[in-house]
Amino acid sequence: MNDQALIDKANESLKDKVLAITNPAPRRIFLKVAVENLLEAVNWLKKDLGFTHLSTISGVDLGQSFEILYHFANNYCSFTIRTEIPRDNPQLPSICELIPGAILYERELQDMFGITIQNIPDPRPLLLPDDWPVGNYPLRKDWKYERPPEVIPGGKK
Amino acid sequence: MRFQIPIGPQHPALKEPIGLRITVEGEIIRDADIRLGYNHRGIEKLAEQKTWIQNIYLTERICGICSHSHTTCYVQGVEKLMELQPPKRGLYIRTLVAELERVHSHLLWLGVAGHEAGFDSFFMYTWRDREIVMDILERISGNRVHYGINTIGGVRRDLDELQVKYILDSLEILRKRSEYYKNLGTTEPSFVARLAGVGYLSKEDAIALCAVGPTLRASGVPMDVRKDDPYAVYDEVPFEVCTADTCDVLGRAVVRIKELFQSYNIIEYLLKNLPAGEIAVKAPRRAKPNEVVSRYEAPRGENIHYIKSNGTDKPERLKVRAPTLANYAATIKMLKNGFIADVPLIFAAIDPCICCAERAVAIVDARTGQEKVVPMNILKQISQKISANKERKREAEWPL
Amino acid sequence: MATLKTLIYLVIYPGLLFLFIYSTFCEWYDRKLYARFQNRMGPTHTGRWGLLQPIADFFKLMAKEDIVPERADKGMFSALPAFGLAIVSTAMLLLPVWNYSLDRPSLTSFNGDIIVLLYLLSLPTFIFFLAGWSSTNLFSTVGAARVLTMLFGYEVPLFLSVLSPAVLANSWRLAEIAAFYRQHPLLILVNLLGFLIALICVQAKLERTPFDIPHAETEIVGGTFTEYSGKKLALFRLMQDVEMVVAAGLLATVFLGGFPGGPLVGLINFVIKTLFVIFFLTLIRATTSRIRVDQVVSFSWKYLAPLAVLQLLIVILVKGLIS
Repeated sequence: MNDQALIDKANESLKDKVLAITNPAPRRIFLKVAVENLLEAVNWLKKDLGFTHLSTISGVDLGQSFEILYHFANNYCSFTIRTEIPRDNPQLPSICELIPGAILYERELQDMFGITIQNIPDPRPLLLPDDWPVGNYPLRKDWKYERPPEVIPGGKK
Repeated sequence: MRFQIPIGPQHPALKEPIGLRITVEGEIIRDADIRLGYNHRGIEKLAEQKTWIQNIYLTERICGICSHSHTTCYVQGVEKLMELQPPKRGLYIRTLVAELERVHSHLLWLGVAGHEAGFDSFFMYTWRDREIVMDILERISGNRVHYGINTIGGVRRDLDELQVKYILDSLEILRKRSEYYKNLGTTEPSFVARLAGVGYLSKEDAIALCAVGPTLRASGVPMDVRKDDPYAVYDEVPFEVCTADTCDVLGRAVVRIKELFQSYNIIEYLLKNLPAGEIAVKAPRRAKPNEVVSRYEAPRGENIHYIKSNGTDKPERLKVRAPTLANYAATIKMLKNGFIADVPLIFAAIDPCICCAERAVAIVDARTGQEKVVPMNILKQISQKISANKERKREAEWPL
Repeated sequence: MATLKTLIYLVIYPGLLFLFIYSTFCEWYDRKLYARFQNRMGPTHTGRWGLLQPIADFFKLMAKEDIVPERADKGMFSALPAFGLAIVSTAMLLLPVWNYSLDRPSLTSFNGDIIVLLYLLSLPTFIFFLAGWSSTNLFSTVGAARVLTMLFGYEVPLFLSVLSPAVLANSWRLAEIAAFYRQHPLLILVNLLGFLIALICVQAKLERTPFDIPHAETEIVGGTFTEYSGKKLALFRLMQDVEMVVAAGLLATVFLGGFPGGPLVGLINFVIKTLFVIFFLTLIRATTSRIRVDQVVSFSWKYLAPLAVLQLLIVILVKGLIS
């Protein structure tokens, strides 16, 4: 298995669904697909190429849109599928059907970026507290942290 | 009778705060739920406001035990972004510290496993010998926990002849002691009875739930980033990937003890083949816009950083996935249908390194089994309401 | 004279005063040994070699704030520690240390006192159960359930193994059993298996590793004692120490020939023999890991109980041979 063979296989199987495929460093492949084809690409990667291990899901705020990266790994290399979703309607399909271990990363995405994951088995918040104000998503670039005024109960005024 | 037991955020079994909520029927666990966030420090957000160099020390503070894992993972990613090639000697020293850290982490885990199983003597013994590794690390870097040895483009401190000799001598003691623990940990009847068959995680489940590190390897999957995706100098160093096929806590202990011996061999090889030369190259202040996925085999499993640069001296995005997070899904699977007595063991078996949990308090009504989550401020109000009208208790007095 | 003697017996030796001092000494001995087994120092600062550490701990706890949970059964919750301490102290009076005569049964040494002593040693277990149950804490409730589950495991083998020497001695009176084995020292070897079983069962009764399941702090925090604090906890800890002394004294009486020689030599005998027994208890504690509650029950019924029956058979055979 080498990088070029993987890229050829991707072009061959997914054909025009491949929006871009890059290989910036040895053993690192980045494949870009549209969000409608995400599940198909993940399924192809898992079934045909045997990438069963999902390392993590990263989200990046690009300003106008969110970029979501699914980092897969097998015993040869790290294969990343990326997709972009618009910022004003952040919807993403859940991949938990295919990769059950993705649940925690998807919940983290929901908390941190306010992305709605469709068909997620467990939509509760994971990281943020239950009294966290609605509409605050810490990892969005326009979110700024403000320390709330500290009140000591029964303390000095 | 079903009732829920809240374990955490503060609980003697947990060395760091995390919220587990366990539904039990008698002694059998029927359901388990995990809640993170108690300790969330927003490091990913903070990293976007710090420079490349400052971020080394920030990532070092993600975790106390595997501090070197996070910096190495970060630093080698940034080196790729800046197109730097660190000198050989620097890479050797970086790998050496990484392996010493693995030894100290695994010895720590053995002790914790002993303590969770109620075997305090084992705990005292392993932690005494862990001091030897801590002393070595202190000799090399000047610190016991946060070594601060990595920098972009190499390492910050060199090794001299005396240090090499000291490490090799200490290694002999460690080898002998580890041999003893290997016998003790795998033959002491009450300890083995406690570990064997506990926290079963089949190979299929381990793969499906994306477990990493010793948890995965104990289920018979030989996955190790050092072998699969060699970084630093692991492509030159001979070592084996240790696995076990018992799929339980005993298997995880065996994998870790085997890895100790592999680490001793690696350390010895590194010290005997230490090349001469520089230890670091000078790094630029900015990185071109690019992105990189950096993987590292931490003592607890695969550690992955995704770094994106935007041409300034600060990263656009730094995503950190610590190995423990990847193992939580598998932990919940392991907890179900086990005994309460096994909770600390199963939970300790993934070697949790928690930088997360919850900030609300769960109040469980023992009579009805109903549970409500009450935020801290309302809880304070309740307690003030209850205690406001009560008369003050007498001060405690010395009885004599 | 007899009244004075009884008063001394009740209050000074082996009554309350001696019991308090000696049980704290035994705790120190246990802690120090345990620490040395683990390459630690153990208590060093309070008193010579840290001898006063358990007493200091006791008074420190006495001075702490005492909290009773709102939902707890307050009367029961507060009465249990004192009640438990009273029970184990009473049990101590039954050990034949001095002030008894072999020919004439008295209030502290009578036919069948071994059964009473065993009964008094069973009561603390129920005290622990009630303590856990009445504090209505989740962890305490689980701990209380575990206390009772364990009781079903170790109680039967303990009774069988302690009673088999009595069968051989043909008496139900502790003083007579001890006297019998002093006359026939070789017969002590017959009960070796029983001694081992009794040691393990006593370890379980005292809830020490590997049987510290009811208060396994990594699983259920403080277990039965989670809600106890201050004076009540101090009394409970003292009660456990006293229970250890009494249990060790029982084993020494039944298996090691008792404590002959009147008040003074008897005292030396008592100290040496109980420390000998406690040494083994500490050794077990230092070299094992905690097992699960289901493993305790299956272990006692698979191994301990059959071995105890075997011991009884051996005793009956030997008895037939010598008579």
